[in-house]
Amino acid sequence: MSASTDTARTRLALVLGRWMPFAMLGLMLTWLVVVPLVILLVGSFSVTGLPVDFFTRGFTLDNYIQTYSDPFFWRMAWTTTVFAVCSALGSLTLGIILAWLVERTDLPARGLVRVLIILPLATPPVLLAIGWIMLLSPRTGFFNQLLQSGLGLSAAPFNIYSLTGMIFVDMLALVPSTFLILSPAFRNMDPNLEEAAMTSGARFHTMIWRVVLPLLLPAILAAGGFLLIVGFLVFDIPGAIGMPVGIFVLSTRVVYLATDAPTGMAEYGLIASMAIFFLVVLLLIAFGYQRATRRAARFVTVTGKGFRIRPFALKRWRWVAFGFVALYFTLVTIAPMGILIWASLMPWFAQPSWDMLQHVTLANHLDFFNNRRAVRAAQNSITISVISATAVAVISIIISWVVVRSNAVGRRVLDALAFLPIAIPGVMIGVALIFVYLTFDLLPIYGTIWIIVIAYVTNYISFGTRASNGVMVQLHSDLEEAAMTSGARWGRLMRSIIIPLTLPALVAVWIWVLAICMRELTSALLLQGRGNTTVPVLLWGYWTGGQPNRAAAVGVWLVVAMLFVIGLWQFMAQRSRLSGVRE
Amino acid sequence: MLDVRNLRVEYRTAGAPYVAVHDESFAVRAGEFFTLLGPSGCGKTTTLRSVAGLETPTAGRIEIDGVPVFDGATGRAVPTHAREIAMVFQSYAIWPHMTVFENVAFPLRVKRLPGAALRRQVDEVLQMVGLGDFAERPATMLSGGQQQRVALARAIVKDAKVLLLDEPLSNLDAKLREQMRRELRRLQKHVGTTSIYVTHDQDEALSLSDRIAVMRGGRIVELGRPLDLYLRPRHTFTARFVGQAELAPCKVVQAGADAVLVETKLGRFRARVNADIGARANHLMVRPEHVVFADADADADDGTGENMLEGQIANILFSGKLVEYEVQTGQGVVSVCAASNVLRTLGEAVRLHLPPEHCVLLTDGEGGGSLGDIPGGDAAPAGPGNRRTA
Ligand SMILES: Nc1ncnc2c1ncn2[C@@H]1O[C@H](COP(=O)(O)OP(=O)(O)OP(=O)(O)O)[C@@H](O)[C@H]1O
Ligand SMILES: [Mg+2]
Repeated sequence: MSASTDTARTRLALVLGRWMPFAMLGLMLTWLVVVPLVILLVGSFSVTGLPVDFFTRGFTLDNYIQTYSDPFFWRMAWTTTVFAVCSALGSLTLGIILAWLVERTDLPARGLVRVLIILPLATPPVLLAIGWIMLLSPRTGFFNQLLQSGLGLSAAPFNIYSLTGMIFVDMLALVPSTFLILSPAFRNMDPNLEEAAMTSGARFHTMIWRVVLPLLLPAILAAGGFLLIVGFLVFDIPGAIGMPVGIFVLSTRVVYLATDAPTGMAEYGLIASMAIFFLVVLLLIAFGYQRATRRAARFVTVTGKGFRIRPFALKRWRWVAFGFVALYFTLVTIAPMGILIWASLMPWFAQPSWDMLQHVTLANHLDFFNNRRAVRAAQNSITISVISATAVAVISIIISWVVVRSNAVGRRVLDALAFLPIAIPGVMIGVALIFVYLTFDLLPIYGTIWIIVIAYVTNYISFGTRASNGVMVQLHSDLEEAAMTSGARWGRLMRSIIIPLTLPALVAVWIWVLAICMRELTSALLLQGRGNTTVPVLLWGYWTGGQPNRAAAVGVWLVVAMLFVIGLWQFMAQRSRLSGVRE
Repeated sequence: MLDVRNLRVEYRTAGAPYVAVHDESFAVRAGEFFTLLGPSGCGKTTTLRSVAGLETPTAGRIEIDGVPVFDGATGRAVPTHAREIAMVFQSYAIWPHMTVFENVAFPLRVKRLPGAALRRQVDEVLQMVGLGDFAERPATMLSGGQQQRVALARAIVKDAKVLLLDEPLSNLDAKLREQMRRELRRLQKHVGTTSIYVTHDQDEALSLSDRIAVMRGGRIVELGRPLDLYLRPRHTFTARFVGQAELAPCKVVQAGADAVLVETKLGRFRARVNADIGARANHLMVRPEHVVFADADADADDGTGENMLEGQIANILFSGKLVEYEVQTGQGVVSVCAASNVLRTLGEAVRLHLPPEHCVLLTDGEGGGSLGDIPGGDAAPAGPGNRRTA
């Protein structure tokens, strides 16, 4: 009798054990991801755009009709597409060339080159855009003036305030991420596959076209999908370059309607209906992206046993290739950072010249460290980044463990939920959170740093879980089992096997999230209140408020902080590679 | 067909350059199956890749069918795609994004062969390797052995002058390896292409090759027919590496024209093989299966009491076809291999005979006879080389 109640109880415990992880994590993810989206959807059908009014004043299609009947909207959608596709193609091309040069050739100083390629991650996109505006603005741009006086041109040769200008800067900004996605694929490809083409009689270009590129296609598609998503949702660059001259893309339009609408009131109805369009497009891309990455995984499994990589001899092209890398680095870092540093040392906006050298001042820098608002912003940025990164890392590892290792019910659903936010741009998360926390005032966090933390956790959980899934999969259960058959208990197992093996990779994830939180502008801008200004928001405020020199000084210190964090990240990533766990 | 002269390959490393191949020379005749045999890291792959043009040697000269493809003196180096070679890689290097057919057709597509002829040739080769029904399979859905065949087919279809094979069987399991070995030999005979085969498996080398070059530390130690390398090796390294060998250091007591008397810790022995080494001999070798149990084979004992040993069976290793006995003699252990028709028991007292015509004189490493194309061509040892031991 008692035996049977015992078994009933254990069975209940088992069932609970299988359901609990799903229930708890599911609830959390639902709150983070699903609720904002649903509220947004509901809001798009309400008269004012605020979800509350949907329940009090009823259903309407007006927002949709107004948005989608407007030819301006469709022109903007087209601009967005051109912008996203062109900058994705551009950075893909650059990324492929750079990844190949670094991973497969005898390029000189490859270690240094790798650093030079990744380094620009430290520059927030908005800063890159500001730097290039200072260089290529038609009236005051430094390069333009140099070229104009040097060649005696009557008009400025370049105009950054154009779609081409936006694409150019965005393309540069995306190269480091592209490189990071592609370089493992280049590194892990069995060189015998290329050599087999050569011994089959294929010339270099046949080998590249018929063997190398098709083999890398899944990885390239995956990178392309990622770049398209980013291109569709990026706000910083079109915001800095396009918005002042009325070239709108979806994300800038949403921010514009939320903060600067001509009526003075945020047009939540229009925003919500526009955001739904956004969401559909991005979900489609994300779906393709996931399929591509899955295919990529299938190809990788067929590589042969251990191989040595014999670098491709560039011969006399070596220095040409090195020059190419140097040019890239100049465009993406030296030129824009140079002008920013110069601007930060100027009392007013002036182009570099010998005459101005006497006016050099540290006032802007000192201001950043003394001004109460600035100090507060720095504190906010650090607090928000550290909390978000920690939350993302912890939540990711738990979700991954459940998804990869356990047999809990609903693992797939959890995985999908955690992946979904990759397709939700910062702009949308910002807007959705405004909706949520304006609607429910049970959590009075609107206008505090916590609402930004929630935005970041939501936004970066997809990245976090992708990375930690990878670590968990790599960590073969053999390793666990080998430890157990060696007589290790669970605690010992965790201490001696799991944690040492996963820690470096997890720390790398943590630092990476820290870095992107520190440079994130969009959500923070939308969610800004009295007390939660972050450094990028401060910078944006100075820039749009006509204080470019102070903006430059803030930017310089932001880059310094980012460099530190990125250095740490690369160091950890290196260590995790050494311990045999790939990122 | 292939002529390699004074090949030297250095790898650039952090410190001093690492010499993977030192001054290596050999010539392979048309239609020959030539094997590079040696332990891991001795430079086999490096040599093969130099022939393929995948590695650039530091010095030397390589000629394929009379055409110089590499010349260190002039710096001439024909690129891989223009060399008359085809290669099978150790990792197979099957392109996962193509079907079996497309993999095999690739060399012909590169040659721009018209569709019908291409189809015919590919089908023919696929048939030859027994993959006729697999043409449309994606290459990722093949077993190891099948991938191996695809790799082979892709190399054969190119119809190059020289076929290069880098340990093509090493990734297969033992049974399959055996089967593929036979098939490889059959195919090579059938196609008749000059082949260079790299392996560290001596069984494979012995059963496949027309000639074998035994390598160590980037040098060719000895080069010859499998039979000669097995029965009449001249170097201790070859003797140890090719087959099982009972080796004993020795001192020459008396050197004659066709026999040498040596002193070892096991006693005094007369050896007839490699008698020309004479006073320079420093090891005596006999294959375990050439040692005879004197009691079982009456005429083994020639009555002189020479080359005889007495001992007790200390250990028995039964492997089916053969039985290996470890015989404890007064001065040490001797291994003897015998067929399993007569089984002996542990502790049994036995008399062993080491026939002089199977006692091989060896020298250490360098200093041996010059490594011509056909060593072992010197006076064949007297006496039947095929006496059976029971
Ligand atoms: N790229 C390289 N850089 C430095 N050393 C190398 C390089 N490639 C090969 N070597 C060294 O050259 C030596 C010969 O290598 P090789 O690959 O020719 O050996 P192998 O005889 O084919 O061995 P295995 O049977 O293990 O395949 C090895 O000691 C190896 O470590
Ligand atoms: Mg090898």
